[in-house]
Amino acid sequence: MPLFQNAVKQIFLLILITFSAVLKAQQKIPVQHRYADFSATSGTSQQSLAASYNFNWRLGKSKKFELGLGIRNTAYFGLKKEFWTAPARLARTSTTPFLIFFAMQKIENWDTLTIQRPFTNSLNISLNFGYNISKKLYAGFNIDAIGFTIGRTTSGILQSNGSTRTESAAKPAAFNLLLTGDHDLGSLNSEFHLNYNLNNHWSIKGIYQFLFVEYRTTTILQTAPDGTMNERFRNKANNGGLGVVYHF
Amino acid sequence: MNKYLITVIVSLVFFLTACKKETTTSAAPATDIVDQTSTVVVMGNFIAGPFGSASGVSEVRRASNGSLTLVLKNFTVNSGPDLHVYLSKEVQPVNFIDLGLLRSVSGTQVYNINGNPDFTQYRYALIHCQRFNHLFGSAELKK
Repeated sequence: MPLFQNAVKQIFLLILITFSAVLKAQQKIPVQHRYADFSATSGTSQQSLAASYNFNWRLGKSKKFELGLGIRNTAYFGLKKEFWTAPARLARTSTTPFLIFFAMQKIENWDTLTIQRPFTNSLNISLNFGYNISKKLYAGFNIDAIGFTIGRTTSGILQSNGSTRTESAAKPAAFNLLLTGDHDLGSLNSEFHLNYNLNNHWSIKGIYQFLFVEYRTTTILQTAPDGTMNERFRNKANNGGLGVVYHF
Repeated sequence: MNKYLITVIVSLVFFLTACKKETTTSAAPATDIVDQTSTVVVMGNFIAGPFGSASGVSEVRRASNGSLTLVLKNFTVNSGPDLHVYLSKEVQPVNFIDLGLLRSVSGTQVYNINGNPDFTQYRYALIHCQRFNHLFGSAELKK
């Protein structure tokens, strides 16, 4: 009996030590990582501002990988930006999900809607992926998944089938949904970024942004070569920028 | 740390103010030379639009080689952003041909017309602010 009691005592001690070691390790690098960031990006005749709040989980033994969710507000504004035919069935040779990334572009179906003063404001749930390269450096990728957009109704010029027409009231697409490639709906922001940690609370980050923005015509339509009508047009913005991050 | 933040904020401001594409019309009077051997196809007088005060004469002229030009004579319009010269089927342009940015707010100006538009359909010469979709002036073109 005393032998059994000793064994239980030893197991209990072992569990306690292991548990406290885990706790200590977790105190060093918390599993949860909450942060807010503010980004500004710029490209040719277009800019964007984004603010987000994020909740990541640190994964793996060394907790170097991060995976999480965020909520992001992205404001996009530009001047005389070209938007092209958006629906995947018109824009690509294949519409198979995921394979669409490798599908050829059907440029013969593309018409151009030049939006004079695009301005959109999107609120989306975003997905975050990242890796802590070192104590100071963090590389990550994030992408909007679902949300909605409001924005300015503005005039545009549709160049279609050799004619030029005025669209007097183009509107941002209201609903945003990440599908794959040209299947995507609405305005979705994504960033590749590299963060440099200044201290425990503040980081700065360099950003390469890929931003989908969608406008819809309301007064005129594109007549596609297959005879169908289209009102959806997309701008794919490639921007560079900077940001600041506050870690809670 | 403040130093870093200031650097970032200054950089952000720089990013946001960079790369603005500006389209402007000259305030100096234009003095383009009109080919006097060309013949007038259609013409009309400018009247003010809801957002401007255009005046002067608009002529479509055909040269001996068949090429077409739109000539603005004794022309004036008040200054505005992104003013373009259109040949349009409607007074408020829906179907139109963009002849380009208005080069000057006054004087004699000549714009090339590509192709051979049907002037029974393209019945108006317009001065149109493209950015805001505002009409500054129109001239109904008649024989």
